[in-house]
Amino acid sequence: MPTRRQFVLTLGALAACKKSGTGTLKIAVVPKGTTHEFWKAVHAGADKAGKEAAVEVIWKGPLKEDDLKQQIEVVQSFTAQGVNGIVLAPLSDKALGASVKGAVAAKIPVVIFDSDLQGQDHTSFVATDNRAAGRLAGDHLAKALGGKGKVVVLRYQEGSASTANREEGFLEAIKKSTGITVVSENQYGGATTESALKTSENLLSAQNAATGGVDGIFTPNESTTFGMLLALQKAGLAGKLKLCGFDASDKLVAALEKGEIEALVLQDPFKIGYLAVKTMVAHLRGTPVEKRIDTGAKLVTKDNLSSKEVQDVLHPPS
Amino acid sequence: MLVVRGVEKHFGATHALTGVDLTVAAGEVHAVLGENGAGKSTLMNVLCGAFPADAGTVTLGGARYAPADPDAAFRAGVAIVHQELSLCPRLTVEENLLLGDESTRAGFLDRRRLRERAAAALARVGSTTPLDARALDLSPAAQQLVEIARALVRGEPRLLILDEPTSSLGADDAERLFALIGELSRAGIAILYVSHFLEEVKRVAQRFTVLRDGATVGTGAVAETSIDAMVTQMAGRRVEELFPRSEHPRGEPLLVVEALSGSDKPLAASLVVHRGEVLGIAGLVGAGRTELLRVVFGLDRVVSGEVRVGAWRGPRSPRDALDHGVGLLSEDRKGEGLAQGLSLAENLALSRLPSFVRGASLRATAQRWVERLGIRAGSVDAPVSELSGGNQQKVALARLLHHDVDVLLLDEPTRGIDVRSKAAIYAEIDALARAGKAIVLVSSFLPELLGVCDRVAVMCRGRLGEARPIAEWTEHAILKEAVGA
Amino acid sequence: MKALLAKKWFGPLVALVVVYAIFLVLRPETFGRAATLLTMSQQTVVVAIAAVGATLVIVSGGIDLSVGSSVALTSVVVAKLLVRGHGPLVAALGGCLVATLCGALGGALVARLKMLPFIVTLGSMSILRGAAKGLANEQKIDAPARGLETLLQPAAGSLRPPTGVFLAIAVAVLAALLLSSTRFGRHVFAVGSNERTARLCGVPVERVKIGVYAIAGLLAGLAGVLEFSMLTVGDPTTAVGLELEVIAAVVIGGASLSGGEGSILGAMIGAFLMTVIKTGATHMGLPNWVQEIVTGGIILVASGLDRLRRGSATS
Repeated sequence: MPTRRQFVLTLGALAACKKSGTGTLKIAVVPKGTTHEFWKAVHAGADKAGKEAAVEVIWKGPLKEDDLKQQIEVVQSFTAQGVNGIVLAPLSDKALGASVKGAVAAKIPVVIFDSDLQGQDHTSFVATDNRAAGRLAGDHLAKALGGKGKVVVLRYQEGSASTANREEGFLEAIKKSTGITVVSENQYGGATTESALKTSENLLSAQNAATGGVDGIFTPNESTTFGMLLALQKAGLAGKLKLCGFDASDKLVAALEKGEIEALVLQDPFKIGYLAVKTMVAHLRGTPVEKRIDTGAKLVTKDNLSSKEVQDVLHPPS
Repeated sequence: MLVVRGVEKHFGATHALTGVDLTVAAGEVHAVLGENGAGKSTLMNVLCGAFPADAGTVTLGGARYAPADPDAAFRAGVAIVHQELSLCPRLTVEENLLLGDESTRAGFLDRRRLRERAAAALARVGSTTPLDARALDLSPAAQQLVEIARALVRGEPRLLILDEPTSSLGADDAERLFALIGELSRAGIAILYVSHFLEEVKRVAQRFTVLRDGATVGTGAVAETSIDAMVTQMAGRRVEELFPRSEHPRGEPLLVVEALSGSDKPLAASLVVHRGEVLGIAGLVGAGRTELLRVVFGLDRVVSGEVRVGAWRGPRSPRDALDHGVGLLSEDRKGEGLAQGLSLAENLALSRLPSFVRGASLRATAQRWVERLGIRAGSVDAPVSELSGGNQQKVALARLLHHDVDVLLLDEPTRGIDVRSKAAIYAEIDALARAGKAIVLVSSFLPELLGVCDRVAVMCRGRLGEARPIAEWTEHAILKEAVGA
Repeated sequence: MKALLAKKWFGPLVALVVVYAIFLVLRPETFGRAATLLTMSQQTVVVAIAAVGATLVIVSGGIDLSVGSSVALTSVVVAKLLVRGHGPLVAALGGCLVATLCGALGGALVARLKMLPFIVTLGSMSILRGAAKGLANEQKIDAPARGLETLLQPAAGSLRPPTGVFLAIAVAVLAALLLSSTRFGRHVFAVGSNERTARLCGVPVERVKIGVYAIAGLLAGLAGVLEFSMLTVGDPTTAVGLELEVIAAVVIGGASLSGGEGSILGAMIGAFLMTVIKTGATHMGLPNWVQEIVTGGIILVASGLDRLRRGSATS
């Protein structure tokens, strides 16, 4: 029941606002969006870190999911407000640069998480090593296809560094198998599941997937994976092609159990949110922090789905 | 069947009906006659429940009849076919016929029943229009039949009111309508037939009642009364002297219109108006007088013919006409004449604004005209909608004066305004003629035409008759020419 | 006092003061900062400039749904020109020119072919968005900003508003003068109030309409340049839904969607009010859904109060 939970969190935030005095540190966490499952887990992680460190965490994303301008405005707004630190998952590796510079100039440190940002103004970058995670998926798919076949990559969005790195890592790994040809790698699924579904349908029919034109597919995030899964289900191809996706949601995990998805690479969103806030707190309290913090990635298949490690990532303790 | 006794109706200070008596028997076709503004429409609206009478009694089939709304009138057995065609253009014939009385079964439309009823009603009026045709695709005659069928679809009415039913029909279609009226009256339906066209009344009605100034002034059997006698009753007495008339010598010809035709009306109209002259144009509503002025002013398209003012031949647009000293006062004060949301000052100056507008000079100009024409307004900045009709009309006239046009085309300048404002406008027209302006005055109010104009021409069904000096006209003669008799 | 009450912008001004005061009381230590005011004025600029154009269109009895797409297209055109090595001025003028032409073309369809403004701009909304994506190859265009970025980004630590803020104020003042003190302005009101009367009075109705849409296009272009200044990339997917924000600002500012009424000052107040709500919600730590409900509520309350005020004035 996400709405109920959101509501409780809101009340919590309101209550927290009321009692915030001069003593507690205020840390603003700015995600790319607020409605994807992924960001909800990040939110939970950030809140947990906040509670452990006894700081106030303000969670505020752009009003519209993935709206660059609104994200800039949110960062500017926190800067003007004078929070103690900003933890940001930038929607563009360039466009947020000026706002971050502005925050740092106003003596507000910035920790970047999830996606990278150009420049050296931020204190630390907390994220999955996306290139490595992409390679993980590429190696697995190559093995699953027995080293031969035709592969499609449905990209996410131009300008999103994290997914672009996954895509490159995947391509790097898959191209090591000479028997595998990448038949399409220039299509973008876009921001929403709906746009990803449409692109997937067009892509599948363009590559004659129904008649063996495609053997394996890679998708670099939750919305493209889910959109592609829906397209495969509609075309009656789910389980016949090997889909290797990214991120987890209840529906994706269910599809993995049914064999409709070959493998999912999981980041640990809870851990990302948790570590990002922890890093900021450490910095604010004078502890030196690493410039680059890897939060790791895990390849999940039907076989290791029930292991404790995987279950911990899927259902983070909150 | 229908007995009306002493019915009165007031709108504010205006007395629309001041004492109407009317008796119609079952199976009788009864004509209601009267000039424009005599109260015919108000009476029909009272009878069909659009608004209640203020005084008097109406009985229908012996029982008291005072419908609260049109639906109540319908249920009491009174159906009306309005003068303007009132079908919903994008709905089909079937949907139009049963609008507001759809048959349902268990909350859903009962399509078969709907179709049967619609088909039966159309057959009753002898229409062969397909039920699925859209109203906007039908000819006016076919639409008129559908309107009559709609009056019959809820069951046979006891009284059927037809308001100017032939105004949009050609001669052949009118003949078919007369045959239908005969049939319906033989079936025992009482029919009230409102018309200007006395020839038609002679053909179709058995008895008639004449209204004038909101009251019944005569009634009789059609067969025993000549058209001349009817016209005399309609025109009646002279109204009180409102019309100052001073010497205004006629100058050279200013506005010359030659064989001018619009897309529908006018048809090859020709006229000449001189400086210092007021030319009146009489005619019935819908004769094409308004259209004539609009074509001359450039608002409607010129199909053939020519308009000249001095060396200028035009007009290409209203702007063009205004630039050459021709101005039009619209008959539709609310919808066209004035922008109701804008202030008095803005309306007044609208046709003649400088490139850069200073509010103060705009207001000063407006104030000057307010004083000159005696416009009663709280402030020149107040929306013009807050003024009374008479004062609004003065604002519209002031705009033409402020623009300093030479040719004034005035379309029903005194319609719906109080007597005092009327007198002021007549005085202004007289002063303008004295100042050497050329004025064309379209009016449906005959005493006004006779009182103000130097010459009058009559328009009938799009054609403009010869303009003759006022001494050669009487109300009777104008009406006779206007009804095409 | 009575004259003040009659002003269209008075109601929205009261609303602005009330909302501002509420946030000030609830969050005195952060909301009252000069930096917050600066940030808010900066964030209002794009909507405000577009709202000036939309006010003209709405006063003339029309509507423009293509603002957001036009802004996105302009940001792409500007980025493209910069990438090709043109100077910032050429890039900005080029962007504005494209938007102006688009506006004028739409105006021509409205005026000459008598098509409904809603339909015309609904069409151009989609066409311009598509054109922006096509031109940008469906990507964000990374361009050297060459000083254009300073239009909307204050020097770090400085409290002097960036040029864009002054630009918006200048545009608003000029447009207010245009509406109140020129023949063209009066004609815009006349056309919106009663097109038939305007025609009767010799107002060149068609030219006025084309002019209005062209000016709205130009201002959407200027808003696009400033959008680029903020993003520093040409983004074909930016400003989706901006047109509704702009229309909301104009309507909160007391304009009537049936035409003939509206004020530039009111629209500016409306635009700023929405930014205040947005910023206040961030300062309060309210989640996005609360902010959306509050903004919608303000629109309904503003136009509802206006309706009541006018109802009591006439009856």
